[in-house]
Amino acid sequence: MIEFKNVCKKYPNGTLALDDVSLTINDGEFVFIVGESGAGKSTMLKTLFREEKISAGSLIVDGYDLKKIRNRKIPYYRRNLGIVFQDFRLFPNKTVFENVAFAMRAIGVPTKDINLRVPTILSIVNLQDKAKSFPSQLSGGEQQRVALARALANNPSIIIADEPTGNIDPKLSLEIMNLLIKIHKHGKTVIVVTHEKNFVDYFQQRVITIKDGKVVDDKVGGMFDE
Amino acid sequence: MSKKQRSRYSLGYLISQAFKSLFRNGMMTVASVAVLMSCLTVMGSFALLVYNIDYNLDQLGSLNEVVVYCDTELTREQVEKIEIRVRLMDNVNEESVKLVTKEEVLIEERQKYSEFTDLFDQMDQSGVNPYPDTIIVQYEDNNKVPALQMELEQIEGVHKVQCRADLAKSIESLKNSIIFIFMWFLAILFLVSVFVIINTIKLAVYSRRQEISIMRYVGATRWFITTPFVIEGVVIGIFSSALAFGIEYFIYGAVYNTVSLNYGMVSIVPFADLQTYILAGFAIVGVITGIIGTSISLSKHLKA
Repeated sequence: MIEFKNVCKKYPNGTLALDDVSLTINDGEFVFIVGESGAGKSTMLKTLFREEKISAGSLIVDGYDLKKIRNRKIPYYRRNLGIVFQDFRLFPNKTVFENVAFAMRAIGVPTKDINLRVPTILSIVNLQDKAKSFPSQLSGGEQQRVALARALANNPSIIIADEPTGNIDPKLSLEIMNLLIKIHKHGKTVIVVTHEKNFVDYFQQRVITIKDGKVVDDKVGGMFDE
Repeated sequence: MSKKQRSRYSLGYLISQAFKSLFRNGMMTVASVAVLMSCLTVMGSFALLVYNIDYNLDQLGSLNEVVVYCDTELTREQVEKIEIRVRLMDNVNEESVKLVTKEEVLIEERQKYSEFTDLFDQMDQSGVNPYPDTIIVQYEDNNKVPALQMELEQIEGVHKVQCRADLAKSIESLKNSIIFIFMWFLAILFLVSVFVIINTIKLAVYSRRQEISIMRYVGATRWFITTPFVIEGVVIGIFSSALAFGIEYFIYGAVYNTVSLNYGMVSIVPFADLQTYILAGFAIVGVITGIIGTSISLSKHLKA
């Protein structure tokens, strides 16, 4: 469970990116976070994966208090998350297999387990035939599927996707969104920050709207209000 | 899986990753090696220069000689008696005592001042040799020189005793000043080199910041992220040290040959006598700056 209680985030330059945000995301929920550029969506995600520390309030994720967590504990906390970025952030000099395996190696999973699990994950994202390809040999959609596979590698309870279709051909974006829905149906909590009104309206999931750092709307089955 | 098994597995993987990324980031590896190697070579050359200056001044300072000038009218027999007496004195290295006769002095001086041949011819014609018989004595203890000098001066037939103890003291003091200044230069050079090396490594780490951020987001620990970079730093350090040692070997060899052939009065310590220290110094500086540079550069990217 994710619980924001009166969360504020003020950057050193004085910008108040999150202003008294309170909300709860239950296990297994699918949530769209929408809002204009600069509204505070990305900051919200950054506080979730503890890239940024909140300035006030409390943020509890799966029992971890992200305001009080010690730096050495953060890597272990992040293993509960699968993070997908707009720009994929793959290792360009590693193959698809190695990119996915890397997340497992980072937490000390033995090679024989990696060799068993990576093909399974690649088949979930329909990339089983591209295991030996390098990211530069893949389309944007395929690269994002590799990023999704890597996010799933350690079987996290929460998937966080920051504009996952932002760098992808619109035709392929639906494929990524469908994959996220599929992952959600396997019991994962999925949080997607997006600008794609069509998808938000089409999938009819919970929609949290942020404006000037505040939650201005939070509806299940909501629409993207511009 | 036990904790021990896990860490052993990870270390093997991390070492292999370090070597792979040395090749994958070939340009930055070459740049780091080139900078580190150059700094080590410059520092090493300067240190060797300082060492050789110290060595030469040390030799000058230890000229433990006393020169005894006899009265010019003494017969050879009388001079030889003085020589025997000197040999038996306390603080005198018996084997080192050497008598240089007035005739030998005249020949030496004739050769030394060959442009004044006329003068020496006149001396020959008149049969007058103005030079005294000289006894050169090497002493054993620098602290007992005043006593020895006094004892020598009291011998009948001794005209003058010239002692270089003051010269040795002056040279020692000069040596200390020169070494003090050069050591400061060496320390500054070391700091500048470390600064340059660390900045080069910073640049190498900066070019891989995205790689580091991916590692952080997948939950890699600080140890997992840092270890391959530190191993790379160590490998670059060792490789640069080996290259710098090779370059130093050739430069020193060339300087040694040139100086030995052309400047006989300057002594150069053979490379073989110093190579262990040079190699150890290079390896220590190379590896330590590699590790420190990597750690400092990474800490910026690993705040949380």
